Amino acid sequence: MRILLVEDDPDLSRQLKLALGDAGYAVDHAPDGEEGHFLGETEPYDAVILDLGLPKMDGVSVLEKWRRENVATPVLILTARDNWSQKVAGFDAGADDYLTKPFHTEELLARLRALVRRSAGHASPQLSCGGLRLDPRAARASVNGEPLRLTSLEYRLLHYMMMHQGRVISRTELVEHLYDQDFDRDSNTIEVFIGRVRKKIGQDRIETVRGLGYRIMALEGESDA
Amino acid sequence: MTAGRPRQPLFKSLRRSSLVLRLVLLAGVWSIAMLVLAGFGLNHLFRQASVQRFEAGLEESIRGLQAETTVDNGQVYAPPMTDVRAYRPYSGFYWQIAEVDAKGAVKSLVKSRSIWDSKLTLPDGIGAAATRTPGTSVYFDTTDPLGKRLHAAAQVSSIPGRDQPVLFVAAENRESIDEAANRFITIIVGALVVLGAGLILAVYLQVRIGLAPLFGLRREVALVRRGKAERLVGDYPAELSPLAGELNALVAHNQDVVERQRTHVGNLAHALKTPLAVMLTEARSTPGELADIVERQAEAMRAHVEHHLRRARAAARSQSTGERTDVGEVLDELTVTMERIFQEKGATIDWRSPDDLCFRGERQDLQELVGNILENAGIWCKRNIRATALPSGADWLTLSIEDDGPGLPAERREEVIKRGARLDESAPGSGLGLAIVDELARAYGGDLTLGDSALGGLMVKVTLPRVEA
Repeated sequence: MRILLVEDDPDLSRQLKLALGDAGYAVDHAPDGEEGHFLGETEPYDAVILDLGLPKMDGVSVLEKWRRENVATPVLILTARDNWSQKVAGFDAGADDYLTKPFHTEELLARLRALVRRSAGHASPQLSCGGLRLDPRAARASVNGEPLRLTSLEYRLLHYMMMHQGRVISRTELVEHLYDQDFDRDSNTIEVFIGRVRKKIGQDRIETVRGLGYRIMALEGESDA
Repeated sequence: MTAGRPRQPLFKSLRRSSLVLRLVLLAGVWSIAMLVLAGFGLNHLFRQASVQRFEAGLEESIRGLQAETTVDNGQVYAPPMTDVRAYRPYSGFYWQIAEVDAKGAVKSLVKSRSIWDSKLTLPDGIGAAATRTPGTSVYFDTTDPLGKRLHAAAQVSSIPGRDQPVLFVAAENRESIDEAANRFITIIVGALVVLGAGLILAVYLQVRIGLAPLFGLRREVALVRRGKAERLVGDYPAELSPLAGELNALVAHNQDVVERQRTHVGNLAHALKTPLAVMLTEARSTPGELADIVERQAEAMRAHVEHHLRRARAAARSQSTGERTDVGEVLDELTVTMERIFQEKGATIDWRSPDDLCFRGERQDLQELVGNILENAGIWCKRNIRATALPSGADWLTLSIEDDGPGLPAERREEVIKRGARLDESAPGSGLGLAIVDELARAYGGDLTLGDSALGGLMVKVTLPRVEA
């Protein structure tokens, strides 16, 4: 297992390198954002530990740049900034986990193990419908290359509809596939979720078929390539 | 100083009183003065005109007398007058023909029947005055035997058959002039009063309408202060738009200051936390007495840092105004983040909020609040978390976050909020989460309560101020 550590504090870097080495990882260290970005882009790592407050290029920018370049390496953010707004920004940029300083080394190692295990899931084909794309492995979706921020219920709804594109799907059917148990079997629920998903992917991608249900489709002039 | 004193309160009160009152008062005083002046002027002109018309009548009578008067053997004979008033006793119309001697004394020769046995009293000097301007009338006031006021004309002219010129006098009751003038005055005063009232009303309306943008500005500023708007958006006239611009700049500056405070605070956190992490890690990797002390002290330092950061954020918060945050947006972004954090567990968050529900306060604070509750729910839940935001009256909203975890016995709930104690070391997390939520909710005048959820676990309910969308 090869890990990239991007951290500017020399003492913390030394400690982490030591701890990660003891845990059996091969560690590359980058002391600033630019070098970190370059290494992450060119070398095949199993995971990255990324500090946010970095010289030359800050962590969030590094992460966003990687994700734009389709570098899918799982990233664990390590930062002193524990505001939820910063955590949200980190996850939005494409982080897979987040750990705030100060932390216990054991916790870092546990998180890292979970991260590597999770990303090792087997690949399955991407679903696409016009400019809409959904990657079941990473549980991520995008519209015209722009990543979508979907909650798991919204993701489930979209996933189910994309697996059955072109077919009209009734509300009852959607409710059954949205919740695992009898939860809130109110068909108004579906309208709420359809509304939210439409807001995120574009109003016209989901068609309402009066009295029957919903159908997902590509926009006019969009190829399914 | 002492003399100026009694004036000062009036001046000050006018200065401090409403703009509308000042403008209306000034315009009112000015227009009333002008109207009074106009009233006097009109009255004067009207009187002058009616006196002239009256005098023209007298003049006409004198000409009539002159034309028809004959002299026979030194005796002056007056013509018969067509005006019957010349015959009716004390009718108010009189004439007289007299001679004026060298001293100016007047001696009556002939007079109208209407004077009857009396005579027309002429003021002293009229004879002399009329003699000085022969052929031109001299006008004067007098009274008839009944005591009525007369206006009269006297003219000296020569008549054929007599060497010495004679004095013709015609007099008429001047009540008609006075009555007309009085009628005119009444009408004029009435008209001017109506005009004045109309002007003041017009000025009042003009001022109200003219100053309407100012009142609009005040309302908007109040909305911003109460957090119902973020900035002034009204379209203001040229004189006010710079003020509106400045106010907006002030609001923006205010938000900037808050933002800067936060940045400083965040920088401090970052600066302190990395060394703390290093110290803690180092201490743990080399067990011993020194390491124990370092670890304990480092933990204490970390607690101090957290505590003071929260205090600083709260201080920054109290300065901010006019913030509003969409509840749905915050629930949505935190749901996505939280589901990623608890991906291993497959945690699912089902959130509901009306589209237009807005929290009256800063986004970061709502994120902090919801983030901490959701994180706590994420730690304890089996799989499902439900977050519901609903308006509660016009000014409040309630946010309930429930999970299907083990829940918390009623007797331990108090503890969690008050102490922020870590109740169960077996689950990760700082344990401060709900205490921070409680502190934040209180800072906004709201509160936090813990209860049982229908899902089986804990229900955390927060009341927060809201803004009408």
